[in-house]
Amino acid sequence: MTPHLHDAELDSRLWSWWLDELDEAQASEVEEDLFACGDCAARLRELLELRDSVRNALRDSRFASVVTPAFVRRLQASGLRLREYHLQPGESVPCTIAPADDFVVSHLHAPLEGVRQVDLVYDDGHTQHRAPHLPFDAAANEVTVIPPVAMLRSLGTATHRMRLLAVTPSSERLLGEYTFNHERWSPG
Amino acid sequence: MRLESLYARGVPVTATTADDPAAQLARRILQATPGGDAQAEAEFCRQFAPRIRLFGLKRLRSEAAAADLVQDVLLLVLQKLRAGAVREPERIASFVLGTARQLCIDTRRNGGRRERLLDTFSLDLEPDDTSDSHELDAARLQHCLQALPERERAVIIMSFYDDCPAETLGAQMGVKSGNVRVIRHRGLKHLRDCLEGSGGAQ
Repeated sequence: MTPHLHDAELDSRLWSWWLDELDEAQASEVEEDLFACGDCAARLRELLELRDSVRNALRDSRFASVVTPAFVRRLQASGLRLREYHLQPGESVPCTIAPADDFVVSHLHAPLEGVRQVDLVYDDGHTQHRAPHLPFDAAANEVTVIPPVAMLRSLGTATHRMRLLAVTPSSERLLGEYTFNHERWSPG
Repeated sequence: MRLESLYARGVPVTATTADDPAAQLARRILQATPGGDAQAEAEFCRQFAPRIRLFGLKRLRSEAAAADLVQDVLLLVLQKLRAGAVREPERIASFVLGTARQLCIDTRRNGGRRERLLDTFSLDLEPDDTSDSHELDAARLQHCLQALPERERAVIIMSFYDDCPAETLGAQMGVKSGNVRVIRHRGLKHLRDCLEGSGGAQ
């Protein structure tokens, strides 16, 4: 099989095939390789194992993930339980995570028209973490964040802030600050 | 089913050599009395079962259907080999693929063929090689995902979570599908490098 391909190129090619992104001739070539080459089949199997592990890692995540509103809808459609908070710039919200919640989703609304780069600053009251160059859809005027579930479950009473910044090569400006007043889940 | 015509029509074939292990096994089965080289047949099944399963998973999107496909393809191919009906054993991989493609089409059309096959030809398959799959170190994966640049992590997670193609993801992110593929490619490479210990994810 295509011995000139580096592993990363092989991964991308196999994954494109798996997702039906290739045209008929390209897909046929991948399938020929898959059947003629045991290493290629093993590589695809590893890729699918990695995919499954990433799915599990998201559920147990210890890091924030920036996703799209459409992805949130797909999570809902798959039967997961989401607790969602919608905030406008400058707003604060009382928040928590229930034992049955799979994810908490923060919808950070902001005027994104014409913005080229958005950075997120996450402030937990002790340290600040900056995530540069977020993926976002300007038309949606929203940045969608899934905070780390494991971290949220470990929190007592705490105030966390997120700030969105519009960044250009020469400057940056605040798009919005969002405050989350977290309380431990109380069934009452 | 028109296996010979499928085989003769063929598709672009990956070059195989005279030393190709699958071709050697096919020759041994062809040259033996029907069912006479059980070792070659078992090894043939061991080699091709995982490949057919992956193909079936992709085409049929079902573990159970993929497992059925493995059985059915191997039954048919061994039947042809035992009957001496495979003329070019050096192209056996293409023959197996052609059979798998045709059976996927048949599976969608009707489900009756499998019962007829199993009535006339029995085959004990060893479990495929998924049993030697290894669990990724969860903590290491968390570290490597966290170390990815934000956009790469987002694309990897959204692409992997429910097998979302680049075109769909691009439309949702407001970027071209080609850009999504580039970000995905980089993310996958950084993730692999980190997991294999040759990089810190970027």
